[in-house]
Amino acid sequence: MNNSEQTSTLSADTSKEVKQTTSKQLIAVIFILALATKMFLQPLFLVKAAGRDAYIALAIDGGFDIIVLIVTLIAMKLSPDRDFFELTRCVFGKVGSRIIVCIFGLYLFFKLNVAVSETVSFYSKNILTDLDTTLLLLILLIFLVGVALHSLRALTRLNEILTPVIVTCLAVLIAIVVATGFDLSNIFPSLRNPHEFGVALSRHMTWLGDFSPLLLFLGRTEMKKSTVPLCVVSGTLGSAISVFFSVVMCAAFGNVTSLVDASTNLSSILQYSLGNVYGRIDLVAEILWSVASFIQNALFFYCVVRCFEYVIGKPLHLVTSLGVGALLFTSLSVAFSDPSILSLLIVNEITSALVASFSLAVPVLALISAVIARKKEGGEKSGQSGGNKNAIRSTE
Amino acid sequence: MRLTQRKKLLIYKVVLFVFAFVIAFMPSTATRNREVNRRVIVDIVGIDSSDMGVELSAQYVMPTETDGATSKDKITVKAKTVQEAAELLNTALGRRAELGHCSMVILGDGVLPKHISDLITATDITADVYLAAAKEKASELVGSITEFMKKTGATDADFIAYGAKKSHIATNTLLGFLSDIGSKSETAFAPLVEMIEEEGSSSGGGSSGGGSSGESGGGSSGSQSGGGGGSSSSGGSGGSGETGMKVEKLALYGKNGRVGILDSTAARGVAWVSSPEGNGVISSGEFTGRIIKKKSSIEVDGKNKSATVKVKASIDTHSMYEEENEEVDLEKKFESEIKKELKSGYDDALSYGRDPMFILREMYRYAPDAAEHSSIDDIDVKFFVEVTVK
Repeated sequence: MNNSEQTSTLSADTSKEVKQTTSKQLIAVIFILALATKMFLQPLFLVKAAGRDAYIALAIDGGFDIIVLIVTLIAMKLSPDRDFFELTRCVFGKVGSRIIVCIFGLYLFFKLNVAVSETVSFYSKNILTDLDTTLLLLILLIFLVGVALHSLRALTRLNEILTPVIVTCLAVLIAIVVATGFDLSNIFPSLRNPHEFGVALSRHMTWLGDFSPLLLFLGRTEMKKSTVPLCVVSGTLGSAISVFFSVVMCAAFGNVTSLVDASTNLSSILQYSLGNVYGRIDLVAEILWSVASFIQNALFFYCVVRCFEYVIGKPLHLVTSLGVGALLFTSLSVAFSDPSILSLLIVNEITSALVASFSLAVPVLALISAVIARKKEGGEKSGQSGGNKNAIRSTE
Repeated sequence: MRLTQRKKLLIYKVVLFVFAFVIAFMPSTATRNREVNRRVIVDIVGIDSSDMGVELSAQYVMPTETDGATSKDKITVKAKTVQEAAELLNTALGRRAELGHCSMVILGDGVLPKHISDLITATDITADVYLAAAKEKASELVGSITEFMKKTGATDADFIAYGAKKSHIATNTLLGFLSDIGSKSETAFAPLVEMIEEEGSSSGGGSSGGGSSGESGGGSSGSQSGGGGGSSSSGGSGGSGETGMKVEKLALYGKNGRVGILDSTAARGVAWVSSPEGNGVISSGEFTGRIIKKKSSIEVDGKNKSATVKVKASIDTHSMYEEENEEVDLEKKFESEIKKELKSGYDDALSYGRDPMFILREMYRYAPDAAEHSSIDDIDVKFFVEVTVK
């Protein structure tokens, strides 16, 4: 099969996936992406670095992500039929498009590493403490490869089923916080050390870009009039919930930041003001809620696989999924062999700046491409209509 | 051959069923009993400082294969650090000591806040565990409580939780304690648990804790066991003469450990401000009422370095004093009693240089510049009490 045939096969495969997601499913995905892994390592690192002001840093990050989300949604609105790959091909040509998608794929692969490592750390240190980390990682990889073999529709439908459960669990956790009368005023005074806060903020931006996988929804999602505002509301609500839980964490650990470690989780601190008199319903709710992180991991994995498939030019789902899985397993095995490697790699100014730039640049690029493609399309249409007029004239 | 949607669904169902079957009957599930029998559930942990470093006492439940047959006992180990002591518990009991199920930590008189933070960071004890203080050795109190629980058949060490829900007593959790110490007030408290002695009985009896080093690595309950100075003892201090427990006083802590003990009046004063629940009974002379609602707040004025502690309470007297009500102003009586308790709590703590009502912390939150270089002595504190009798 020559290269043009391969590309056409991929396009055919891609065209099959057009409008795979409904407007409702997109809203649910955005809600999950806004808060899934936001409660794992990022608030802990932030509490250690910025103390009781960590929630402000998280809110700023959340605000940045909402801007990224809005840019992505506008691009989706402007390009209702062309997907991300087609758009870049239309504007930058085949080679340019593959280079861009390859860089985007590598960026997503890095984000995938961060998200999966957080999920595995959370489960191995809080819930499945007796299970070997490698085994846990392997089980997760089987799930991720399985998801990547299916279409985007399957993943978004799975998310649609799980979202009500996750929302219920969040409601339970919020109710516990309110019922226990948590000492939320311990987050005051705010910003007593502005310099320390600035440093903390600039070193912890690796978690930005949670909405990046949405670019794969471009041209494949049913966009109604109300979709964009509802998606923004959904993303804002998700971010607000994660900031709220960070406030709880800051109030609990604001005076004792040295106690925070990877085994610290929302459940263990929720009832500190009143003790465990309400039983451990919070633990059940938190476990169910953390299921959202699997959806996020799956979305990142799916996007990485599709990006690399596009770069290779062959729709080899199984081979590419296994390849990405093997790469992920290798990189995380190195990371888990010494946890300081991972934290050193993700918590620094350079990585933060790179991730922040990518998370904004890629949707902006998609938006520009969508505008150019639209103009080209408009030009072609007007050219076609002009041509038709001439034809009519010549007939006349 | 393409499979129809129905056939695909059937295959999924079969695969799911097989998966569920394998999970349900996999070897680890089938041998779960043995897994339980390899563990010891620790219900209460006592911590003391010792010449060696720390002394960790644990009230544990030993699950056995027979249904419902468990044995409750106490063991004490000595080590240089808390982490080492937690490891020694495993060796001493010959099973893995599950500290994650611990529902109470008892602090001995010489314990430092560092030991308490080590309990969170170096062991599986969760941050929301209740704290209690022993007048002297925590190991002795753990022994006495174990004996008392065995005698009464009580299974859960949840009397502090009961205190938090039903009594007018200030309680604290492990993380709450450390957060309080780390706050601007640099003060924390834990309710003091004492055993009620039967009148006329001597306080002698088998002393527990410390003791001789175990010879064998790992042993059974009730006998010498474990390495590293572990001893398992069923004797508390004067176990037979103890008829119950009382939680009336409050142990007060600073950054360097315990600074003193507040008596019951002062402890009640602290509870008005620092206890999350509004329950219990209040007496003023011959008049008694049940506290049904309580609300407290601290208003700070950074400019004048002053603070007002406000307490609002609803008290139910069950209409017992309706006749006297015309002559006696019950609300005034209860208000003056509460004010007396509040003042006692504040003054007694101030004599130790401590601030268990967290007035300085409150000032730091809302007037940080004023509180930055102040101490609790610099703040002029007033009390305002409002009672509604129902």
